[in-house]
Amino acid sequence: MTRPRRGTSTVAYGDVTGTLRERTVEALRDPTLAANLRTAGESWGEARDHMRSEYGLDDMRARARDIRRGNIRRLPELLTELQSNVRANGGVVVRAADGVEACRYIVGLARERGAHVVAKSKSMATEEIKLNEALQGAGLEVVETDLGEWILQLAGQHPSHIIAPAVHLNRDQVAALFREEAGRDDIPSDREALVAHARMRLREKFAAAEIGISGVNIAVASTGTVCIVENEGNARLVTALPRVHVAVMGMERVVADWDEAAHLLQVLPMAAIGQDAANYVNLITGPRREGEQDGPDEFHLVIVDGGRGALRGTEFEEALSCIRCGACLYSCPMWRTVGGQAYGSPYSGPIGAVITPLLEGPSSPGSRDLPFMSSLCGACHEACPVGIPLHDLLVRARARASSPGTRVAGVAFRGWSLLWRHPITYRLSTAMGRLLLRIRGRDGWVRSLPGPARNWTDQRDIPTRWPPRR
Amino acid sequence: MAAAPVTDRLLDQFVTALTRRKASCEVVARADAARAGARWIADRGVVRAVLADDPVIQGIGLPDALRAAGVDPIMWPTSLGRREQLGLEGPDDVCGVTAPALAVAERGTVVLEAAPGHGRAIDVASRHHLAVLPADRIVETLGEALARTYAPGRAAPSAVSLVSGPSRSSDIEKISTLGAHGALTEHVIIVL
Amino acid sequence: MRTCLADAIAPSVWKCARRALARAGVDVRVPRGQTCCGQPAWTAGHPDHARAVARHTLKVFAGTDEVVVPSGSCAAMIVHAYPEMFAGEPEEEAARDLASRTLEFTQFLARHGLDPRPRAAGSVTYHDSCHMLRVLDEKDSPREALANVPGAELVEMERTDQCCGFGGVFSLDFPELSGRLGEEKARAAAATGADELVACDLSCLLHIAGRAHRTGVPVRVRHIAEVLGS
Repeated sequence: MTRPRRGTSTVAYGDVTGTLRERTVEALRDPTLAANLRTAGESWGEARDHMRSEYGLDDMRARARDIRRGNIRRLPELLTELQSNVRANGGVVVRAADGVEACRYIVGLARERGAHVVAKSKSMATEEIKLNEALQGAGLEVVETDLGEWILQLAGQHPSHIIAPAVHLNRDQVAALFREEAGRDDIPSDREALVAHARMRLREKFAAAEIGISGVNIAVASTGTVCIVENEGNARLVTALPRVHVAVMGMERVVADWDEAAHLLQVLPMAAIGQDAANYVNLITGPRREGEQDGPDEFHLVIVDGGRGALRGTEFEEALSCIRCGACLYSCPMWRTVGGQAYGSPYSGPIGAVITPLLEGPSSPGSRDLPFMSSLCGACHEACPVGIPLHDLLVRARARASSPGTRVAGVAFRGWSLLWRHPITYRLSTAMGRLLLRIRGRDGWVRSLPGPARNWTDQRDIPTRWPPRR
Repeated sequence: MAAAPVTDRLLDQFVTALTRRKASCEVVARADAARAGARWIADRGVVRAVLADDPVIQGIGLPDALRAAGVDPIMWPTSLGRREQLGLEGPDDVCGVTAPALAVAERGTVVLEAAPGHGRAIDVASRHHLAVLPADRIVETLGEALARTYAPGRAAPSAVSLVSGPSRSSDIEKISTLGAHGALTEHVIIVL
Repeated sequence: MRTCLADAIAPSVWKCARRALARAGVDVRVPRGQTCCGQPAWTAGHPDHARAVARHTLKVFAGTDEVVVPSGSCAAMIVHAYPEMFAGEPEEEAARDLASRTLEFTQFLARHGLDPRPRAAGSVTYHDSCHMLRVLDEKDSPREALANVPGAELVEMERTDQCCGFGGVFSLDFPELSGRLGEEKARAAAATGADELVACDLSCLLHIAGRAHRTGVPVRVRHIAEVLGS
């Protein structure tokens, strides 16, 4: 792992190198990555299409969108209600303004409880606030128990997808990691054996952990309940066995009542994995009650703002509707070609390209190019189960971005608009364009142009006649 | 919790959905329920079962039927430590027996509620999962199940687990593999 | 509307559109002073400059009959983005008005049940450009128009709805990724064995044809207006 060359933003990954464009070029060179992403994207697409044709996913989208918009509009009161009900059921609620505050609280808690081992189930919010690094810095062993996340932890990598983090690795790569971790050569590369091995190794951690940390898919204000959706069962063990359970959530992930929760709990797996149900949905209201033998003694809900609150009332408010299903990633031609790690942020794909610079700030070198890494095709908006107009948000995000590149472009477009708002200068410039092509063309094609137009001709020829000759 | 007797349509819907979720089930008369459950457990080669201490499970006489089938029934709350519960020590081929409070027909989901007699992780810590479900606890939709579970005036349970089939992982090459952490099998005894 | 890209590189596109409409019995006017809808600056995140150019377009097409555009992306720009672009501006009313009477070329033909009496063509494969497909929500009108071309057999390619990778400034900011997507699209088109690739957007075709020529993928392209108005 190498250190970052620029930027010290709070969201960007610590081992991200180079520019965004350089990372996409590197990703384009990897045929294994391309093959894995294609398989993943296509199998998701088929499953999702099945949901649309047989289970009525499309009809559910409008209601899901309205629910989430309503949630964001009423956010302060819903959070107050959630807090009050969690406390009434014996839980502790902490409102953290940012990741630093959240980490400080959780590390402090771990120290006070004398913890040595922390078992974690998948949580994008904890990636965002860099909780693992904070806990490890305080001398704790942190184990990701979601199979894909554990694999990545062993590989020293960051997730490439919100739902299926290790989607870019194949079984031989995984077997090698397991052998190294266990110090044994006899682990076979077939999927069943790999899963069986992981099961036993991670059970050791469930048994040892004093603290379990989970994310939250949605929180229900009316009863103070957090919902955790998963397929493997590790979140259930993380929230059942350790004495302390800490749940970390982005502040926008709250719904009003069980009617709304039921609808979203149906839509989420349909959009995320193309199934009508996830294997396990865990609904947790405070710590264990008197007389219960399993379950944590303490329940702590850490609600992170981290820049989200500031988006309410702005042109980006709809981005807060996101339920982190990952559908936009799977549907995006960019993500499907270069994968999630090229984005250099916990949140990749279209939603990541929109919110990362919003949470980091428009001039942050780590993320300001992200909204430009999109052809604005709109597949994300089509896929989004809560109807976020991601393609429009990307354009708005571009207008907000501030960098040397955007300032140069601003000057160029100013000149362009001066010429092209008057018919005479417009016709002159288009005629000159046609002339330029004629002059530089050979056999009906232009193969290179100078200056900024080089970026076009580095990849494509330009026909000097239309329709083009062969 | 119990309401109207289950209709054939609802029962069919539930059985179909369970099969889709890769769980198995059998519909039995009450008098046959304990025998059916004990037989399924013994057929897995299991020698130890952890049972929720629940009126449904006691009521059909499952503990005795298990002993008769050569399976040691341990009632919740147990004296097993965490390592034994997880199968790291002692037999790792344990079956967890639960008594769902409700089931959702359209999704093939059983709803498990934590209680002093019903550990929240009995099924997921074990390798196998048997659920004993009175048929009149089947409702059609998730919305109905959640509305009942969190009905106003009812204390919210500390943990509710919506279980829809055995544990899966799709993380290795994006192809679904069974049994990453939770139970590898799920069988529902639907008691008429 | 001629579109700036046709003016700059391929005037035959708008001329064929005019011919097709005339053959179908439509009285077509082509205002001389028109320039550009402003899309390049808008999608690049420079809305003020886009607006400056779009204002001129509003003036040129003020008070006209239906406006027909041989470009899905330009039509989508006017229909979808102009109301947002001019929200709260003095031209808001004019923008909404123009948006309400602008149609993409094949949509116009379909809406009025027009027959442009096209010449015969060979087999074709059709690329669903993103703005047509997802912003204008239109996949039928181009296919219907092609179905009425004598001899033309439509062979659908794989992933016809995947973006070709042009994307405006994206093609310059991330040229390698843009090129890769264009190449995939060109190969998918070539794999159909069809005589030519047709689309409603000149920008897509320039990108695909240019990438195909660079990488040696044999693809012949024409704009749908050229098929219908040859």
